[in-house]
Amino acid sequence: MQVKAKQTVGGGKAAATTPGMSMYQVSLSYGASSPERRLILENITLDVREGEFLCIVGPSGSGKTTLLRMLSGLVKPTTGEVRFRGQVVSGPSRERAIIFQDYSKALLPWRTVAGNIALSLEAEGMRPADQQPIVAALLSKMGIVRAANQFPGQLSGGMQQRVQIARCLAQRPKILLMDEPFGALDAMTRQALQDEILILSGEQRMTVVFITHDLEEAIYLGDRVVVLGDTPARIIETIDVDLPRPRDQLTTREDPRFLAHRHRLFGLLRRH
Amino acid sequence: MRKIDPLTIAAFGFALALILAWQLLAELNFISPIFFPSPSRALSVLAARVLDGSIWTPFFATALRMLFGWALASLAGIAIGAAIGSSRLARDLLEPTLDFIRPLPASAMIPIAVLFLGLSNAMSLSVIAFGAIWPVLLATVHGFSSVQPELRQVSDVLGFSRFEFLKKIALPSAFPDIIAGLRVSLAISLILAVVTEMQASLPGLGWDIFFAQRMYRSADLYAGLVLLGVMGLTANHALMLFERRVLRWRNLHA
Repeated sequence: MQVKAKQTVGGGKAAATTPGMSMYQVSLSYGASSPERRLILENITLDVREGEFLCIVGPSGSGKTTLLRMLSGLVKPTTGEVRFRGQVVSGPSRERAIIFQDYSKALLPWRTVAGNIALSLEAEGMRPADQQPIVAALLSKMGIVRAANQFPGQLSGGMQQRVQIARCLAQRPKILLMDEPFGALDAMTRQALQDEILILSGEQRMTVVFITHDLEEAIYLGDRVVVLGDTPARIIETIDVDLPRPRDQLTTREDPRFLAHRHRLFGLLRRH
Repeated sequence: MRKIDPLTIAAFGFALALILAWQLLAELNFISPIFFPSPSRALSVLAARVLDGSIWTPFFATALRMLFGWALASLAGIAIGAAIGSSRLARDLLEPTLDFIRPLPASAMIPIAVLFLGLSNAMSLSVIAFGAIWPVLLATVHGFSSVQPELRQVSDVLGFSRFEFLKKIALPSAFPDIIAGLRVSLAISLILAVVTEMQASLPGLGWDIFFAQRMYRSADLYAGLVLLGVMGLTANHALMLFERRVLRWRNLHA
């Protein structure tokens, strides 16, 4: 539907042999002294394969967001290491785009939609004349051409989230880190955006790490689903989602395998 | 034509009623006209001075004093406020001193300013700047320190330098706060312009009304007051129009 433009921007073809991202025995705790020391994440070892769509589910407050921040480099692990294409992650980078749940806080409300997307290009020092065609391509890719000169506050939640995705694509990331991006949207908009992100990641072979607390969303989108148990968060299970692609909101969700995965995940999370 | 809000009419009616009551009290010689001229006399003095042009020199002297003092306060307030609001170090370094100076009444600084600068415009401007800096400074600190954490993270991921972050993200994000501070500072600037004129015999409307009072020319006194009111109102409205333009994005909704 809206995502039909040809590939003009976005991640290059990945070398299939280098692993995408990994976390090795990563723990994170806040507070220095022992009495108020709080362990948030415990001994997480995780591989994100190049080009895969990895979903992470867990109860709210389980440290999912913190885990994503660590992959981006915004938060440093207390122990263990995070690697991106073999290199230890020491800070944030343009190669790892992060999409926040609260789009209204992540967009610049004083800039138009086009201006928000251009921010990523300004950051690499691109001349305004060169920015213009790239912004135009992203606007049409995300189906927001008509909103180009509007301000985020004038748009619906779904539209604002499209703007945020477009801005992230403009930074030509190698990996998209999405933090419950559709959690605040209504059901119809959420399904539309789920399908758009599947098409986007599929056509660009983009690696995606997608955090959600919605089990069905995780199964519908993911190649694999990682289940976190809470306080402190640990990986309690990783399941391979053996559902065919392209996925379809009706048939995929009615597939007996879909229901079986849902059953299993539900049981896992209830026990923890 | 646009329809006029009945409340606007009522508000104007209220003001008009006050003026009529004033006129009536004055006509009845309730209080000596030396202290209390009728509005018609005050306004006719004002009209005469507007027509013969003698009002414009003091009017612009006071307006420029207010504007320059305000500009000084604003530039310094935004600069210091941005530093405090965006840097832990600047905050720890400056805040204790500023917290001590801030409660000092600006009028109490006049003697010190006179000692250093004499009965000069420089004295007046420094006193205005001192008194008017606080609202814009505090508003700027608040604006810069309440940038959404998400925007800070976006800036980090995109690799903006500290300066670019301040320019492209923190400053525009703080702008609504800064403009609110600027408006309060502008009102204080007018007050202090008038006060310093009275204290230091500097030319302007403040000095004019002070002198008129000494000479028992009460109609001149009230004429000056009316003009000061007009000046304050105009300045505030100009700033409001500017705000509406610059912060256009705030008033638009889906």
